[in-house]
Amino acid sequence: MKKLIIITILFSLVVGLGTATFAAEEVNLYTNRHYDTDEEILNRFTEETGIEVNVLKGDSDQLIERIAREGKNSPADLLITADAGRLHRAKERDILQSVNTKTLAQNVPDNLKDTDNYWYGLTMRGRIIVYAKDRVDPKNLGGYEDLTSAKWQDEILVRSSTNIYNQSLLASLVAIYGEDWAEEWAAGVVDNMARKPQGNDRAQATAVAAGEGDLAIMNTYYLGKMINSDNPAEVEVARNVGIHFPDGENGTHINVSGAGVVKNAPNKENAVKLLEYLSSASAQQFFASANYEYPVNPKVEASELLQSWGDFEPQNINLTELGINNQTAVRIFNRVGWQ
Amino acid sequence: MQLLKKLKKASPGWFLLTAVIITMLLIPNVNIIINLFGEAGENWKHVRDYLLINYFQNSLVLVIATGLLAAFLGAGLAWLIAAYDFPGRNFLSWGLILPLAIPPYIGAYVYQGMFSYTGPLQTFLRNNLQINLNQKYFDFMNLKGAIFIYTIFLFPYVFLMTKAFLAKQSASLLESSRLLGKRDSTIFFKIILPLSRGAVVAGSSLVMMEVLNDYGVVKYFGISTFTTAIFKSWFGMGDLPTSVRLAVMAMLVIFVLLFLEKLLRGGRKYSYSTSNIRPLSRRKLEGSKKIMAQFFTYGIFFFGFLLPTAQLLYWSFLSRGGELIETFNFAFTSILIGSGAAVLILVGAIIIATTARMSSNFTSNILARITILGYSIPGAVIAVGILLFMLKLDEFLIFLQTGFGLGTNIILSSTLVMLIFAYAVRFMGIAFNSVNSGYEKIGESYFEASRTLGKGVTETFFKIDLPMLKPALMSGFLLVFIEIMKELPLTMILRPFNFDTLATKAFEYASDEMIYRAADLSLVLIFFSAAAIYLITHRSKRRKK
Repeated sequence: MKKLIIITILFSLVVGLGTATFAAEEVNLYTNRHYDTDEEILNRFTEETGIEVNVLKGDSDQLIERIAREGKNSPADLLITADAGRLHRAKERDILQSVNTKTLAQNVPDNLKDTDNYWYGLTMRGRIIVYAKDRVDPKNLGGYEDLTSAKWQDEILVRSSTNIYNQSLLASLVAIYGEDWAEEWAAGVVDNMARKPQGNDRAQATAVAAGEGDLAIMNTYYLGKMINSDNPAEVEVARNVGIHFPDGENGTHINVSGAGVVKNAPNKENAVKLLEYLSSASAQQFFASANYEYPVNPKVEASELLQSWGDFEPQNINLTELGINNQTAVRIFNRVGWQ
Repeated sequence: MQLLKKLKKASPGWFLLTAVIITMLLIPNVNIIINLFGEAGENWKHVRDYLLINYFQNSLVLVIATGLLAAFLGAGLAWLIAAYDFPGRNFLSWGLILPLAIPPYIGAYVYQGMFSYTGPLQTFLRNNLQINLNQKYFDFMNLKGAIFIYTIFLFPYVFLMTKAFLAKQSASLLESSRLLGKRDSTIFFKIILPLSRGAVVAGSSLVMMEVLNDYGVVKYFGISTFTTAIFKSWFGMGDLPTSVRLAVMAMLVIFVLLFLEKLLRGGRKYSYSTSNIRPLSRRKLEGSKKIMAQFFTYGIFFFGFLLPTAQLLYWSFLSRGGELIETFNFAFTSILIGSGAAVLILVGAIIIATTARMSSNFTSNILARITILGYSIPGAVIAVGILLFMLKLDEFLIFLQTGFGLGTNIILSSTLVMLIFAYAVRFMGIAFNSVNSGYEKIGESYFEASRTLGKGVTETFFKIDLPMLKPALMSGFLLVFIEIMKELPLTMILRPFNFDTLATKAFEYASDEMIYRAADLSLVLIFFSAAAIYLITHRSKRRKK
């Protein structure tokens, strides 16, 4: 029993001391990113500014929920999360605040940030079509609208609609063509599916290589990850698929991973500094290439790998639309039975 | 008699402590359930109209199929181990518990990775034998695959409980039926299964709760169940009332299933015990029977532990290992929080169990129910119940602080206190059951003797009960420790700044489609859980000798 008591006391001490904070200048970052290079970027930020960065990593949606529940006492200063739809949701939950500085306006293009400056995109990805090089002539490929064509009967591979990337894709189509068109489109894609949606984006590309279907819808950076995979078989898969940026009537669907300053940020100034730093030319290159993404800062060039994929025309909408139309998209998916 | 009753009464101190702990356990649950009475949003209607039937079917299929399969597998193996002797039996009697060391979501990633187009099996067939098979033969990501994953990694719950039960049974029943010339299969189905039904059902209901609350596997496989729906409506639509409705429906599924089982059993109670307990005399298997028994038991061990561990080792080798120091850090955090929280939880469980023992049957039953409540609600739902509770407490503390002019610091909700409290809410039931079964084994005569000799309740506890409880406490500690090592949703939602455990880190890598990087972390996690299992089983063995 004595041992038990001693252990308990020791443990409480460790917990107590470990969680006490002494730092003078600090910023509390809630983020869904977990790349090793991030640590390096944040360390350099600390070196340059003297501001300590405390990191709380987690699932995007759960971080948003946590900040919302923490309310006015939340220690969160800056929230980083993937997908404009989600960032918009954070804005709607009333956990972000509008921030407007000259630097941010220069670093982040208008269509890649919130119309009211509640969040800013930091890295960009496209949702593209990959095809079986040996079976598909890329000349036959068009825009997203082409996916419902009869020639792709039982050929399309795509993941579940519970995934935000699909929701944002459909939301963009709702924004461009309206709800009815989008519903018809989604139903057409369901008709053309090679199998019930399952697995992640990588699994779709793999299924194309394995011959389960000719086309897969996936995010650009997953392809980058496959090309750099530790598994030789996966690298092989990435080599066997071709990349097509949907063109057709309205370009390629792009999305961002981005950040917003939290509404009740106790260290607001530091949060803005960090946000500016992450969008700056010096940080952008590493920040984007950690996840094989395109930098948002127009002054920074994409990595060699991404450049080798060629240029593309993005959809001509403000990404705020993705959030506004998210609910509509989710409901369309459920109605047309896109699992 | 009257005097004895009076002596058995709990002292007010114990009762007060219990009341405080129980209240703390209840508040987060109540916080959640209260949402049930709120207005149902527009989402609920949408969910009900388009999705509910699908969730319901999938969850029901998963829960029932896994529950049954795990019951048969666990009971069958327990019977083989308890009643027969064959080479390897000694090792397998604890080796078959090892699958419990592998969290099902890691198992799912491993099996899918193994059989996928880019996995070792198909790559080998393709590159070395030029065999290209239709992908449908390797399709793992469906209901059947999920049932396999859950069964193979969760059946040890049934195995453990049934084995412990069979060990306590007197051998005479079995010997009589053998003498009467009954075949062993008849004995298993006609005598052993009905007799151990209680233990099998208890183990299997644990399995069913785990299945119903699991998020990792079904999310990865893209199967819509109640849990994915809870996450979808809550974190996706920001609609807490809808998700609580779903959580309550999920709990109802379990209750209905357990109730049906009781109904089927009727008023019959199969129990047979005498004070004269001899261990079962094990029959030595020979010839083809020996080979079959070995094939079966080692086969399960292979698929439940050896194969996935080997695959992880291979991946870890492919990724040339992560950073050793980093992995060590996560392991250190996991072990510290796991053992520290387990000790605190056990102290709480001892207080409750001791009070329960001195209370009426009715009260102690209620106490037992309350402690298990946290285990039957999905982790993520509890997490927010706890967050709300801690934030309220913090508001109060801030109020105090400003009163004393100390500024406004949130103390609880940004520290480990919250996470440890969450573990307590979730795993108190497991600890309580361990302590309670320890008390049942001791009986009450020592306690009564000490009390009649004029010692107080507290003194009796420290001098008499605690030393005798030690083995039960140890296994309770290790069980909770394993659970915390594997725990995911609570840790993910409630952790403080700069805090990573093996489980959260492995899940981050895996869900980011970097299973190779997750491999070493998973291996370390599995190693420590397996070590805990080894300690549990080998302590109890030493005791018997």
